[in-house]
Amino acid sequence: MRFALDDQPVDFVDGDSVAVAVVRSGQHPQHGGALCLTGDCGNCSADVDGVPFTRTCLTPARPGLRVRRHPAVGGPPLQLDPPKNPVQSPVHAGVEVHRRHVDVAVIGAGDSGTAEAARLRAAGREVLVLDSGDGDDVVGVYPGPLVVVRTPEHMLHVHAHEVVIATGAAEVHPVCEGNMLRGIVLAGAADLLRSKGVDLGTTVTVDIAELSRFEGTDGRVTGVVFSDGRSEACDTAIVTSRTKAPRDLLARMVSDPNVRVVGPAAQRFDLPPAPVDGFVCPCSKITVGDLQMVWDKGFQHLELVKRAALCGTGTCQGGVCMPHLRSFVSDKQGVEAAPFTGRPASRQLTIAEAAADVFLDPFRRSALHDEHLKLGAQMDRFGGWWRPWNYGDAMREYWAVREGVSLGDVSTLGKMIVTGPDVVEALERLYPTTIADIRPGRSRYVLLLNERGHLIDDGMVCRESDDRFVLTFTSGGAAFAEAWVRDWIDTWGLDVRIMDRTISHGAINVTGPLAGALLQRVGVAEPPKFLQHRHATVAGIDCHIMRLSFTGEASFELHHPVAHSVELWQALMKAGRDMNITPHGLQALFALRLEKGHVIVGMDTELDSTPRRLNMDWAVKMDKPDFIGRTALARTADLPDRRRLFGFTMDGPAPTEGAPIYVGERIVGHVASTFTSPILGKAVMLGWQKHEPWADTVTIDGRPATVAHTPFYDPEGARARA
Amino acid sequence: MNEFVETLLELTWHEPKSSYDVVIIGGGGHGLATAYYLATQHGITNLAVLEADYIGSGNSGRNTTIIRANYGIPESIRFYQHSLDLYSTLEQETGCWIMHATKGLLWLAHTESAMRNERARAMLNTACGAETVLVDPTEIKALVPQIDLSGGGRYPVLGASYHIPASTARHDRVVWAYAQGAMQRGVHVLQNTPVTGLIRDGDRVVGVRTATGDISAGVVMSAVGGNVSQIAAHAGVRLPVRTHPLQAFVTNGYAQGFGPIISDTELLCYISQTARGQMLIGHEYDRETSYSLQSSFQFLQANAIKMSYLLPFVRDLKILRQWTGRCDVSADFSPIMGFTGVDGFVITTGWGTWGFKAIPAGGEAMAELIATGRTPELIEPFALSRFAADHTMADQGSTGTR
Repeated sequence: MRFALDDQPVDFVDGDSVAVAVVRSGQHPQHGGALCLTGDCGNCSADVDGVPFTRTCLTPARPGLRVRRHPAVGGPPLQLDPPKNPVQSPVHAGVEVHRRHVDVAVIGAGDSGTAEAARLRAAGREVLVLDSGDGDDVVGVYPGPLVVVRTPEHMLHVHAHEVVIATGAAEVHPVCEGNMLRGIVLAGAADLLRSKGVDLGTTVTVDIAELSRFEGTDGRVTGVVFSDGRSEACDTAIVTSRTKAPRDLLARMVSDPNVRVVGPAAQRFDLPPAPVDGFVCPCSKITVGDLQMVWDKGFQHLELVKRAALCGTGTCQGGVCMPHLRSFVSDKQGVEAAPFTGRPASRQLTIAEAAADVFLDPFRRSALHDEHLKLGAQMDRFGGWWRPWNYGDAMREYWAVREGVSLGDVSTLGKMIVTGPDVVEALERLYPTTIADIRPGRSRYVLLLNERGHLIDDGMVCRESDDRFVLTFTSGGAAFAEAWVRDWIDTWGLDVRIMDRTISHGAINVTGPLAGALLQRVGVAEPPKFLQHRHATVAGIDCHIMRLSFTGEASFELHHPVAHSVELWQALMKAGRDMNITPHGLQALFALRLEKGHVIVGMDTELDSTPRRLNMDWAVKMDKPDFIGRTALARTADLPDRRRLFGFTMDGPAPTEGAPIYVGERIVGHVASTFTSPILGKAVMLGWQKHEPWADTVTIDGRPATVAHTPFYDPEGARARA
Repeated sequence: MNEFVETLLELTWHEPKSSYDVVIIGGGGHGLATAYYLATQHGITNLAVLEADYIGSGNSGRNTTIIRANYGIPESIRFYQHSLDLYSTLEQETGCWIMHATKGLLWLAHTESAMRNERARAMLNTACGAETVLVDPTEIKALVPQIDLSGGGRYPVLGASYHIPASTARHDRVVWAYAQGAMQRGVHVLQNTPVTGLIRDGDRVVGVRTATGDISAGVVMSAVGGNVSQIAAHAGVRLPVRTHPLQAFVTNGYAQGFGPIISDTELLCYISQTARGQMLIGHEYDRETSYSLQSSFQFLQANAIKMSYLLPFVRDLKILRQWTGRCDVSADFSPIMGFTGVDGFVITTGWGTWGFKAIPAGGEAMAELIATGRTPELIEPFALSRFAADHTMADQGSTGTR
């Protein structure tokens, strides 16, 4: 059986790891460096099947595997090729995730782990033992505790009540002149290689306490020089260490009362002698000379030495260098230096492995999504939903609203029923507007403020009876508003029931001068008057009809169970065919509402927009005893304010939205929304002035613009009431 | 030869004194930059920077090293553009190699409303001196051939604002450049010196308490990240600041091959390749407030999936290391710099996810404020008093957060 190493065949036998097979072939998986073959160092990592930095000692050899050494200098290339089939989501391909919920997870099946597992089992605990020897490569222990594991077949997420880290201790790597030669192995690696029948040739065994340096030619070790000056020739140098370094990276990366460390992983150990030569950090190719240089330059703190020399920031995360780095610093400062911070990952995982089985929030589609597509809509996401942006010609849609009749899918609006004996009290506190004097069958536009008095949403309050209201919220704000309303009502302990119908109910806005006539055709003999609402059957479907106006024309929102959305939409489209009924998308809607000066929360408003800044004090009743935001508004009412949203008009085409507004050379604000109004023959805008004194004439896009009262179009609102 | 090590300049440590003209709490970028500019521009060297741990151990050593000025309000754009300019000459000025590299930053948009925002950003940025242009998908593909313009079929790339002068620098080396420059001029930097309290004389702050003794000072400045609310509380100052963890991760180091910085306005994550070849990926800060520095797997999962949609090649990269810093976020998402209303105590905080890029301009302005007793015009909008005066500087959309 063979795999390829840098395109040359390498033979292997059953049970070989890639690293063992490479050593058997007389080669090294990198260009040199002592091998531990236990996953503690990064000296055997290579590109395996296109994934660089794979530890070959933990990778079982397989026929056909393609292994490539990293370049001797510099990193392996980024594989930048675009995917062959970019449209198909590549994200979930390939990696499976298994999840286990266990009582105790013991990491490590050495002496301490085995003993701990036995003790726990005897006490009746359910134990899962994870050991890298069995292919369970622990990436990290995270708060939870959550243990993330790579196995040869899949990712494993272990949710445990308790985690025991029993990772034992690792042999210490040699740091001395010649330690990057090929042919140096740690004692454990030598045992493993021999057990696999690898011929190590002539060997010399040396303890790191007695090691002076390695000698070699052509990058391969030829002999060992002991600290007493004696030297011995060899093909393979075997390095032993009397004390072993705790494998405590996992322990250092988490602080959780349900994670404990046992056995050698938790034990103090005697640091090796301070290194004097050689590579201390093989991953980043950092020498003892580098450490000395940064120390001499004043970087006299273990973390500063680490950061200045970049020692310990490579693949093994300090596995090789930590004992030597600590020893170096301890020797200089005369006090034992603690290990540097432990950070995940202990064993590296690919981004695909981290992303496996993760799903982002879905985008929502209204029940009419397919109807829009059939009508040629260009869809766009807005407020978490797919919405029609236009149906091919936004201006045609605009004129349909202004001169004929049009449909808009407003199913995405937040819709909520609130009932109960305390409902008026609750709404009085939630909204800055007066609620008690809204008569059943009537509705009112409301602002929703936060405690700072800043606008967070807006909508309608429709009163159905003494103790029943229907509330609407913006599409993007609905989810937040639902939680907001619930939380406050719970906080106040008021007797109010809340039913959110955002998803269960659709809504179609029938708007335009012919909207009333269209409704008459589908069974509503007497459509409600402006700001009234009632229940009626429309084309055989029970609807709650709310008459309001965002577009400036007569508008009837038909709220209905979502199961009937398509039927209702089709009936309306059919009934309006000879009226040239044309649905409108967001693009037309934004233009229509702008002619009326209606703000869109989040688009025209800012994070800290008070009603005063929006010229909407009319929607705030400070004489009410309390409402959310009242305290803040009362505090700031008398403070000078230097921000206000103004209406502007100018001749010629609209500037780009966001354009700066100038007075002379000075930027005083920016255009929030703008549109070239064909019906008014000029550009209309909402824009901010953020400096006093307010200017009446400003410069936008190099052209003069003047402050104008809103609404720009039909200021008396005759059309909405018609 | 290790260029990284050889190019370091020397840090000259001093023995502490019991009294200084100025004491700066916090030996991170902002504290050390303020000390540096006090020394270089105002000749004030009888000053100490007190660091609880080692210099740069806080957020200065935990950020994602991006330098940009493409903010959403003129006051911020001008401030960060000045900082960007100072960064671009910092190597010449200090003689320290900070690994400064101009890369350009693409802010991707996936929806019409996001395009509208990026159009607006490009215009306002350019008007305020921060060069930003709108680019279409073809231009994006030319800048980043690796990008999947379909966004994995889920996040189609409609365009981007391209902030041309955006750059990166090695965070530690910025800290050291300022530290070295200040120490060379006689500034004392005292490591392992946590401040346990402030000394007050009537209404005035006149020094600091440390574990190793009291130090008196003419002016005390807090340049603390993370625990700033506690330091301010010692002076009786309550800050409109919440502290959130902010996480990031790097992959192993690969050969250079990825030019610009990419940030996503909808996915709220960003990526760049470091001078060491690591792909560095960050995200908005954690929603919960906490001083915790623990990293979470959920963070890794969310970023990994998002980046896989945009840049499929990242799938096979090995994640090397995650870490976490602390973000002090003010009520309007803008920094707080200047006088506190308590004599002898000034502050620089609220640095959220935008502190690193502000180090030069923030340090220079605070140095001027301390030296002259007057607030420089550039930072006037960011005074603490703006909250009480209701003159907040809301700029949430520019911070990679929501």
